[in-house]
Amino acid sequence: MSMCSVSKGCFVFKPSPKKRKLSQKTVNYFRERNNASEDTDVRFVTCQSLWNQIKLETEQIQEDLNKQLFDNLVSFLRRSHSEFQEKTTEWTCRMKSREIPTAALVLGVNVTDHDLTFRSLSEVLQNNITPYIALLEAKDCPGIKNLMQKLMGQLMNCYIDVDSLEDEDHMQVSQNKIRCSMTSIISWYQNVTKKTDSETPSKKRTSSSRHWQSPPVVVIFKDMESFTTKVLQDFIVISSQHIHELPLVLVFGIATSPMIIHSLLPHSVSSLLCIELFQSLSCKEHLSTIIDKLLLTAQFPFKLGEKVLQVLINIFLYHDFSVQNFIKGFQLCIVEHFYSQPLSVLCCPLVDAKKRVNSLSHDQCENIRRLPSFRRYVENQASEKQILLLTADNFLKEITQKLLEDLYVYHENYVSVLRCLHVFTSSLPKYPLGKQIRELHCACLENRVWETEEYESSLQLARMLNKSDLVTMLQQCVEIFVSSSGKEFDKTIEKLKEFLTQFQELEAEAFQEQDGSVSAQKELQKKTDLYHLQKTLLELKESRRSKKLTKFEMLRFEVVDYVDSLVRTYLVPADHKTLHEIMYFNTASVLRGHLNAAPRVALHTALNNPYCYLKNQALKSDGGNISNKAPDICIVYKLHLECGRLINLVDWLEAFSTVVTAVEGPNTDAASSDQVDDIIHARFIRAVSELELLGFIKPSKQKTDHVARLTWGGC
Amino acid sequence: MSQAGRRERAALEVKFVPDEEVLKHIAEDSGSMGNGSSVSGGEVYSFQTPKRSSKMVELASELAQTPGQIVAAGHSECPEKTAKTPQSSKRPGSNKAQQRSKKKEFVSTTPYRLRKRLAAPDPDLESESEYSASCSEEDEDDQKEGSAGLSGQKTSAKTKAASVSPPRNTLAKKVKEDKMSNLVEEYFEAHSSSKVLTSDRTLQKLQKRRLNQQTLHDLLKKAPLAYAAEIKELNQQHESLFSKWMLHLHWGFNIVLYGLGSKRDLLEKFRTSVLQDSIHLVVNGYFPSITVRSILNSITEEVLDHTGTFHSPLDHLEFIIKRFKEDSSLELYVLIHNLDSQMLRGERSQQILAQLSSLPNIYLIASIDHINAPLMWDQAKLSLYNWLWYETTTFSPYAEETSYENSLLVQQSGSLALSSLTHVLRSLTLNARGIFRLLARYQLEHKDNPSYPGLSFQDFYQQCREAFLVNSDLTLRAQLTEFRDHKLIRTKRGGDGVEYLFIPVDDSTLTDFLEKEDEDV
Repeated sequence: MSMCSVSKGCFVFKPSPKKRKLSQKTVNYFRERNNASEDTDVRFVTCQSLWNQIKLETEQIQEDLNKQLFDNLVSFLRRSHSEFQEKTTEWTCRMKSREIPTAALVLGVNVTDHDLTFRSLSEVLQNNITPYIALLEAKDCPGIKNLMQKLMGQLMNCYIDVDSLEDEDHMQVSQNKIRCSMTSIISWYQNVTKKTDSETPSKKRTSSSRHWQSPPVVVIFKDMESFTTKVLQDFIVISSQHIHELPLVLVFGIATSPMIIHSLLPHSVSSLLCIELFQSLSCKEHLSTIIDKLLLTAQFPFKLGEKVLQVLINIFLYHDFSVQNFIKGFQLCIVEHFYSQPLSVLCCPLVDAKKRVNSLSHDQCENIRRLPSFRRYVENQASEKQILLLTADNFLKEITQKLLEDLYVYHENYVSVLRCLHVFTSSLPKYPLGKQIRELHCACLENRVWETEEYESSLQLARMLNKSDLVTMLQQCVEIFVSSSGKEFDKTIEKLKEFLTQFQELEAEAFQEQDGSVSAQKELQKKTDLYHLQKTLLELKESRRSKKLTKFEMLRFEVVDYVDSLVRTYLVPADHKTLHEIMYFNTASVLRGHLNAAPRVALHTALNNPYCYLKNQALKSDGGNISNKAPDICIVYKLHLECGRLINLVDWLEAFSTVVTAVEGPNTDAASSDQVDDIIHARFIRAVSELELLGFIKPSKQKTDHVARLTWGGC
Repeated sequence: MSQAGRRERAALEVKFVPDEEVLKHIAEDSGSMGNGSSVSGGEVYSFQTPKRSSKMVELASELAQTPGQIVAAGHSECPEKTAKTPQSSKRPGSNKAQQRSKKKEFVSTTPYRLRKRLAAPDPDLESESEYSASCSEEDEDDQKEGSAGLSGQKTSAKTKAASVSPPRNTLAKKVKEDKMSNLVEEYFEAHSSSKVLTSDRTLQKLQKRRLNQQTLHDLLKKAPLAYAAEIKELNQQHESLFSKWMLHLHWGFNIVLYGLGSKRDLLEKFRTSVLQDSIHLVVNGYFPSITVRSILNSITEEVLDHTGTFHSPLDHLEFIIKRFKEDSSLELYVLIHNLDSQMLRGERSQQILAQLSSLPNIYLIASIDHINAPLMWDQAKLSLYNWLWYETTTFSPYAEETSYENSLLVQQSGSLALSSLTHVLRSLTLNARGIFRLLARYQLEHKDNPSYPGLSFQDFYQQCREAFLVNSDLTLRAQLTEFRDHKLIRTKRGGDGVEYLFIPVDDSTLTDFLEKEDEDV
């Protein structure tokens, strides 16, 4: 079928049913490029299971983080609900107040994450409070009518879920017929509650069961800011009229600040609401937890390299604050890693990895030998071992197992020591190594952290910590090491505990020392002679300068030196480790290209420097200039850069033909010049309409045969 | 997490980052894109600056003179060569005079600017000299051209460039000092003058016939595609990624292609090589009357085999989403050429497409071309689309995509309009045809009057009566309604409330029509 048509823009292609096989497995796409390697299936399975594990983990984290918020919300809903229940007898009072209980949920600017929050919220509410929940979005509700329609649709559907599925058809029909109004909702509500009443006649009319049987109707406005003011106002006013018949509770999802309610709604409307504010966890904290649980743990074998992590964090901080996007980026990293690195088959829990090492093929062994980190390792070995490593597969496998084990131990230790270092650096003034543990993590991954200036200065600052801080930090470190899974830390814990007892001993001595200094002070006060005073002061100063370090200072030095030694042994950057390529994904450029692309820069490059893409020597140029042999569109583009707001097409065409004919050489004979001219004309037309398609120019009515320029600068 | 750390984070963290740092990060992120070439944001986005009208010509001749190599500005010129350029040799004498008149007009606009410039203080000396130089030179040019005859305008432009450059160099230091103020100066310079400083030449005077779509197509076929080998290589690079595309699609991402050059062939190749065995939908976004509704319709009608209509696109979408959620074995690949086209770039269309693409068993591959295409999407839509960006610069010509466009230089054949005119007219009564012809003649008589509003209803009625075509204004009105329904005429109210009638067809088509009609009659 031809896809050029003047009457149609969509074409559906259906394979004939015979040819149509059940959709090709994803694993095949994994395989296609690496035909040689037979491990692709294993790799794919590993990749998938790892991702599923991580996905579960992130969902769990999200749930845990939202728990507090949801608990508060649930108790709020219960409260508002109970009020309604109690006051059922005194409706008049209720009618007078007419206030709708409202929860304002401040969720932060990361709009993309809200969806997940709302989904789990409605789940929680459904389980705990009420089956009657409607989730409304601004884009579905341009008018009050659509809003009511949507609301009713969702409420009645959920009624069906509660009820048996038999009468679904019946309900579907009636739903379309019912006029969408508040009264129909109310009659529906009364119907529903009555039904449940009659179903449980034993509990009927007792106060406790009433509590159960008329659950509130929760209406959630997902993106309150995007709703039209009119729609919101109308809905609130209408429903406040009926609040005594329908226990309505509103939930506003707010991305900016709670002040928006008052700027969106006039006082007369907002006074109909009884608003309570709920604040969700900030997205930064969410991210910290995610990083903490996904990256700073030995649980998952897959790791992110420094640059990749930096790219992901930058996208988060400078573009969207979206944790979901961060996780998406993480997912992409996993897929990329397993797709592009044949040895990633070993990127699995240590027990499995050891088994897999044994069954590695010869090709895979060659792959290991090709790893830069492994080469470095080989170079440092004795010559006979080198030969063995490079020739005997079995020996290589043995060593690989050992190296992998080392890598795992390294990870376990790394995390604990990193946390320990973070305890020290996070309380220093000005945070030379960053406030967040992720910054410290990046710094440690980048290069040897102890060689950096920041580390130097933070050690110096640590040497000035006061005692109480130091003691609490040491205690924290002990806790970290105790809870860590690393086996090497028994000694460390002992050492740290020893420091702690020494500090306690110091306390006793401190009293005596204080006495001594006090007496010196007193002596000072006795002298009144100016000359003598000066002399004693100088002496005192002298003595203080030359005075040996106090015991506390000595101990403090010792502690800091000890931490320093821990850092030097355990926080070696990952890419200094042999076989790190198996676990670490480090191709940041791929990630950046896929997630944070710059289409305009690509266009700019293509137009200004076609040599970047078309590797032809004729196009090669230096600086910002362009060769005149460049493709037509580049020349036309370059010429248009020299123009102001409007461009005369005739001038443009002539300039273009000047360039093009000069390139083609003066030898074109006069007879065919007319013909050539036509072709040049056609080429010009094509280039100009391409520029128009790209959005650089547009036709202008201001002057005949002129086009308007739409961009300034190089692109 | 340690206690202290938790306390730290519990406190609200607001850190003010200096602008430069943010810029640095953004530039860093976007900088090292595409084939490792880094382009700073300042190069891509900058202010409008004043341009001299002759700059383009200068650049053109510069490029023309230096085949294969690049020469910096201020090189030695060779007038013989520039004089040989086709435009100056081909231009007939009448053009000269016309051009001179343009020059005069240009000069007449300068005195005010000149005065302003001269009154400006010293620091502006540089730009001032440039302006006064160019102005006086226009004068010079003018005189020269009267005598010089054949030597083109371009040579004089070149001498101007040469004469201007030396004082510039001496002032180089000063320029650097005043760079900032100059930038400001230039900005306002470019924005203050509403005068358009371009030449008044038109294509008509060029005596070059306008090409129609067909001849354009034929001509372009004759012209060999430059760098075909390199382009092919580029395409092969992209094609090698097809299996990766599929992998990413199946992992829940959608793919968007960007970069210079038509991506239509690439997607077509992808479709034929990978998607043969699965249901897929191809959408030509560049098609001028594509709508979201037609996309949704083809999904429901042809993919889901559902007959029935929907009240709104939202209902429609809901139905599709429901069906795809119910049947997880159903898979659909959607290829959209030019997702950023005129018809699809609207907020609502994008919203619907985004929601469609967020379904786990719909796989979307789209291409974008417009430089501002990413502005279509806000964070919410981006997260629905779940894009993975692929740079696919192909350098292939946008043949299909631009063929629909009402290009400026392409003559609209109007054959469609003409045939529809005759078609409709043939089904009408003789009187009705007469009425229409009357209006058409009247319009053609006034075609040179740019402020012709149309024929007022009263006048029209009078004329029709005189020609014995109608007997009451009611019959005329009934007839006009019929014309209007067929979009043969349009009415608009004038300032005085009078109804004016006109035929929304260009003059040449109308002439053709009348000729044909006369033949028939």
